[in-house]
Amino acid sequence: MLRHSIAAGLLAATLALPAFAQAPAAPVPGWAVGRPEGSTLAPHAPRLTVTPLDQVPVAALRLPAGFSAEVYAHGMPGVRTMTEGPNGTIFAGTRVIGRVYAITRNADGTTRTRVVAQGLTQPNGVVMVGNDLYVFAVNRVLRYANIEANLDNVPAPEELTAAYGLPTEQQHGGNHHWKFTTLGPDGRIYTNIGVNCNVCTFDRDVFATLLSFNPDGSGRRIEARGVRNSVGMAHHPLTRELWATNHGRDWAGDDTPDDTLIRVRRTGEDHGFPYCVGNWADPQYNAGRNCGEFQQPAALLGPHTAALGMRFYTGTMFPEQYRNQIFLARRGSWNRSRLTGFDVLVAHLDAQGNVTRLEEFMTGLRDDANQRFLGRPVDVHVMRDGALLVSDEQMGAVYRITYRR
Amino acid sequence: MPVRLLAAALLAVALPAVAIPGAAEAESIGRGSDRAAHYCANCHGADGRSQQEGIPSLAGQQAEFVTLQMILFREGIRQVPAMNQFAQGLTDRDIEDLAAYYASLRPGPPDDRGPRDAALFERGRVLSARMNCGVCHLPDYRGRNQVPRLTGQREEFLARTMAEYRDGLRSGADPQMNGAVAGVADADLAALAHYLAQLE
Repeated sequence: MLRHSIAAGLLAATLALPAFAQAPAAPVPGWAVGRPEGSTLAPHAPRLTVTPLDQVPVAALRLPAGFSAEVYAHGMPGVRTMTEGPNGTIFAGTRVIGRVYAITRNADGTTRTRVVAQGLTQPNGVVMVGNDLYVFAVNRVLRYANIEANLDNVPAPEELTAAYGLPTEQQHGGNHHWKFTTLGPDGRIYTNIGVNCNVCTFDRDVFATLLSFNPDGSGRRIEARGVRNSVGMAHHPLTRELWATNHGRDWAGDDTPDDTLIRVRRTGEDHGFPYCVGNWADPQYNAGRNCGEFQQPAALLGPHTAALGMRFYTGTMFPEQYRNQIFLARRGSWNRSRLTGFDVLVAHLDAQGNVTRLEEFMTGLRDDANQRFLGRPVDVHVMRDGALLVSDEQMGAVYRITYRR
Repeated sequence: MPVRLLAAALLAVALPAVAIPGAAEAESIGRGSDRAAHYCANCHGADGRSQQEGIPSLAGQQAEFVTLQMILFREGIRQVPAMNQFAQGLTDRDIEDLAAYYASLRPGPPDDRGPRDAALFERGRVLSARMNCGVCHLPDYRGRNQVPRLTGQREEFLARTMAEYRDGLRSGADPQMNGAVAGVADADLAALAHYLAQLE
């Protein structure tokens, strides 16, 4: 039925084109496939100016008993992905504002923030390899050697762009070109190449993949295919398996498809995009494929919730039940009549690595009654003392969550 | 069931999700007005309506859109040399003041707007409906938040801007516009620009 109504909509749109448009009709843009006429859903506006501390909604955060949240750092518009240097500096990437921030702790426990790189295109991928910070800005890969010793006078980075050979912004058509990066237990850098559209036919050996590289850009390996847009991944601390969050497509209804948590059991396996998400067949791009032939998600994370950064909890501060469980941030929906997400979940795993339960861990940023949100969590990071950092892109702030018995 | 869901999506109206307190306060507008008179009015017009070819009108523009573009100019992410120079050294508050000021002005066409070409206007109207421009810019094209107002804008500026999005020379807070005008012919962009520029 859904398929029919969308097909009818497309047909009607085509018929509405009068004969005078001699130029070949532009294809329906990928992002607009299935977009219901009359809808006014659009992405939420970012906030790229500094949010004063008294407007950072830390007081609204809700956590399980025994946990508390404080503002660790603020005044960093667009702050997103986080990685930590050997001396405890938190480096944070952004998207639109093009900056990389560094957060250091002062002797009195307060924090200081610096901009260590700027003017980059979507520098969302940040990862430490030893003493060096790697920044992934679409296809550009920059290595800032010995960064923590040079925070006040950052030297020019080494450019590794050619060695990595990632698709350019133009090859992506501007779509899903930002990266997430993490260092694997094998010393390789793991990253994503998002799909170059909302949903379309594309080269499945290039786009919608998870990849790994040696840090110098050599040894490219496809870790997973059919992963539409992952902007969060981490390796299980015991099994060393790669896990990732993945965004479902837009404009296929309020409740379909789900964003997913995926577990990569074998290198190169196929997770189904654009044909399927779990057992959900895409209404336009299934191409007659049986969804059973693809890897099934480890968990469904809700429609349009924008599940992003994830980490396994490897600290000892939190209660034992959280050890080696997955904390993941959901930035929150736009392509849905009512808001979903805007929170941090815990995916609880059993000894076999099956997801047994999803726990709403950090809530309070979604205001259901007024259909508005107070902030947008993007990434989580486990500090060495076991505290959990959560970045809030909308508020330009990082929260620190601690536990006391 | 899916049909009902789709219907619900059709009916849904997204509400502005983030309220920025005090964005349009008179004080902010006053400061913005002073700064604009010194630095902006020369090109963008004393009343925010540009009388210069290629320079956009800002009167009635969405404050969040102006803020976003000014930040992109300041950070060197969007390259327009004259604007990169003006944006250098502006604080976030300076930018928000300018945005509040321009948002407070009444939008309207430039004095030199040409007459309506009925066929071109109709072609633009049909294209705009087919391409669903009103989904993000809203059906009356007044824009919202980071999505700009299109009415009252200069025609040649609209055409050039859409071509820049199409050709990957420009990007916004997200790539929606790049996708929306991918592969659209110059003649169709011209029709869209004419239609939008003729609307009140």
